[in-house]
Amino acid sequence: MNNETAALGPKKVVGTPVPRPQRTASVQTYIPEIAKGLGITMKHFFQNTKEMAFGQRNDPVLEAIEDGINCISYPEQKRPYPARFRGVHRLTQRDDGAPRCVACLCCSTACPAQCIHIEAGEYPEGDPRRGYERFPQRFVIDELRCIFCGFCVEACPVDAIRMDTGIHAAPYDSREQFIFEKELLMAFPGRDGSHLTANPRHEPGESTHPGLDRDHH
Amino acid sequence: MMPLTIVTFLLFVLKAFVVVMFAMNVAVILTWADRRQGAMIQDRVGPNRAVAWIPTKVAQGLALGPALAVVAGVAFVLVKLEPLPEELASRAMLFSQLGILFTWLTFVVIAGKVQTRGVQSSFDAWLYSLGDPRRIFYTGLFAHFLALFVGLALNDSSFGTQIRDIGYGGGAGLLIFSVLGGAVYAALSIRNEPRIGLRLAGLLHPAADGLKTIFKEDFIPPNADKFLHSLAPFISFFPALVVMAVIPFGDTLCFNVDHGGLGALMTTVPRDSVCAAAGSVRLQVVDLDVGLLYFFALAGTGIVGAALAGWASDNKYSLLGGVRAASQMVSYEVTMGLTLVGAVMVYGSLRVDKMIEWQQHNAWGIFVQPLAFFLFFTASVAESKRIPFDIPEGESEIVAGYFTEYAGMKFAMFFFAEYIAVVTSAGLMSAIFLGGWDLPFLYRDGLHVSIGGTVLFEQTLPHVMVVVVGALGFVLKTLTLCWLQLMIRWTLPRFRYDQLMRLGWRKLLPASLANVVATGLIVMAIVSAGPEVGKFMDLVADYTRAFVALVGLGGFIYFVVFLAKPVHKRKTLSSSSAEYAAAAGGTRSARMSA
Repeated sequence: MNNETAALGPKKVVGTPVPRPQRTASVQTYIPEIAKGLGITMKHFFQNTKEMAFGQRNDPVLEAIEDGINCISYPEQKRPYPARFRGVHRLTQRDDGAPRCVACLCCSTACPAQCIHIEAGEYPEGDPRRGYERFPQRFVIDELRCIFCGFCVEACPVDAIRMDTGIHAAPYDSREQFIFEKELLMAFPGRDGSHLTANPRHEPGESTHPGLDRDHH
Repeated sequence: MMPLTIVTFLLFVLKAFVVVMFAMNVAVILTWADRRQGAMIQDRVGPNRAVAWIPTKVAQGLALGPALAVVAGVAFVLVKLEPLPEELASRAMLFSQLGILFTWLTFVVIAGKVQTRGVQSSFDAWLYSLGDPRRIFYTGLFAHFLALFVGLALNDSSFGTQIRDIGYGGGAGLLIFSVLGGAVYAALSIRNEPRIGLRLAGLLHPAADGLKTIFKEDFIPPNADKFLHSLAPFISFFPALVVMAVIPFGDTLCFNVDHGGLGALMTTVPRDSVCAAAGSVRLQVVDLDVGLLYFFALAGTGIVGAALAGWASDNKYSLLGGVRAASQMVSYEVTMGLTLVGAVMVYGSLRVDKMIEWQQHNAWGIFVQPLAFFLFFTASVAESKRIPFDIPEGESEIVAGYFTEYAGMKFAMFFFAEYIAVVTSAGLMSAIFLGGWDLPFLYRDGLHVSIGGTVLFEQTLPHVMVVVVGALGFVLKTLTLCWLQLMIRWTLPRFRYDQLMRLGWRKLLPASLANVVATGLIVMAIVSAGPEVGKFMDLVADYTRAFVALVGLGGFIYFVVFLAKPVHKRKTLSSSSAEYAAAAGGTRSARMSA
């Protein structure tokens, strides 16, 4: 009985008491504390002003762990995008400058935003690639619709579409300017400056070629 | 008072123009500095986008032009103004000191540039091999003292005359060489740049902002009192500007010594000479016997502008702001007036130029009336309605206070008036408490370093140089006080309304009354004490001068050492972004020179 009533009453607070702020003479008279605060303000002011005026301020990317101004003055200064940044697409090229794309429509099928439009073309009769692969007569990406998910890059079986240009989609004047055609997409190089990719291609007739095509598999 | 002639009228217009331009330009600079400091203390970049691109040839001309002017001036003095035999020693000292000053300055600046930018020529490589730029500065400092002591020690011997001639010719040569060499180096180092961005450390930004506000929409609320609403900014702007008129910005220029005219400016004026009114120009817009009272009368008018703006806007927040502004400014006006009563008792005049003369003959006001300086400083920060006393604006409580309903240039005028009030109060404070144009040991005829009658060093200087250095000293003091007010603005939070009133009426006002009583008692005690005490006070005054001079010199040396200190920063490659940045030679290559 006694125990139950004890549990009902106000509970004793358990915890470490937080000390009240020190109300020393220097705090109460206000002026020494103002002087201290002014000192800190001035220290920052002189240091940063000197570094700005003499062009000694931190490189905001490389020297970011140092004290001082680490702001990036965009657009005069830009932080380079990381290596795996998904930027504007590019169509990779073969050694002869033709697109690697085989117009299989995997990317446009995978695209959740449905921003890729491909018109496939057949190689002429007698071409060793006929029946094995096609080529894109038109390859159009609507960069306004694109959500930069990177599924197209994942879906591509021949490493023909990549998003490693390091370019972010800039705002243009009109919607037409966001419709990127095949020629433009092929003109973008990757971050390494190359229009190719590191992955090898296996042309029909080469020993590494699997020997499969649409008629014989 | 001079008789009004065409010349005096033109001089009046010129002086008024100079003072108004000074106040307004410093106010613009403060607008910039305020935002800039806010950025600097918070480790941000701040406003410095505005840039004027100038072609390389023009930039090279801007570097070479002033240098050539200096060279021409030195050559003119050397060839045309033949020194009298007794002036030769002082001229030799002057030239050698100036030569040494500009030599180390040029070398330190270029060495610092090389440290930041890297070696680009064989001269750069040689300068870089000298190491830390601070070493050059220390060497220069040593050369200064060496020249000083050699000049003092060998003044009269025959070897001394040889040394003196070397100092005369060599110092001038060094001056020409370093100024011209520095300019040529600057011109050569920018010759490959297609164009040079002139940002004036971001100073163009407030100019661009000012232009912008002129073209902004001038909005007047539909139910506002249109006339008063438009009048209010002018009423708060005008008084802030005209109070500078009674503050002298330099010593009286004498034209009537020995041979009159402009040639008199190059001669040395006797120390305690009084210029006849006819041949002198007072560097002060108006001579008013009421001096300080004029300041208080007009500074008080500024309240009307704020209160009127609050009332005429037809907005309850504006009204609250206007009422707050009126009550605050009235409260602190009382303290402001009473703190200066003590200073007026000591100086025995209401004229600001008389106060400066008293300080030149005795000690600076800050040593005579330290409490008054502190109280006046606090009250004048409150009077300019700036943080921590900005409850009339109080954006967290009443939107923007009395200028809530203002836009465009009228809004900017309120702010401009605030900054001009900062400049004028700083100017008045430097005149009353920091000696105005007086610099320690600098008298009308030159430098006299003496403590209690023992002369340590003497150097006569041309009249125009004394006046110009004094005027520059006044500008420097004013700017320092303005800067201190900005620093306070970026350090302290805002007072609550009741705290503000309590501080004004219960702390500052009694303190200022106590200051008046104490000053009265001390002044009476000293006056009735007799000549021994007066002599002792003169000695103390000399020590205050030495103190100010040493603090100034030490501060200058510390500042140069601080500026010349090279920076070493650690680089970290912590991400693929950083690797790309490192491969591109750093993100800073496109930095904004601020």
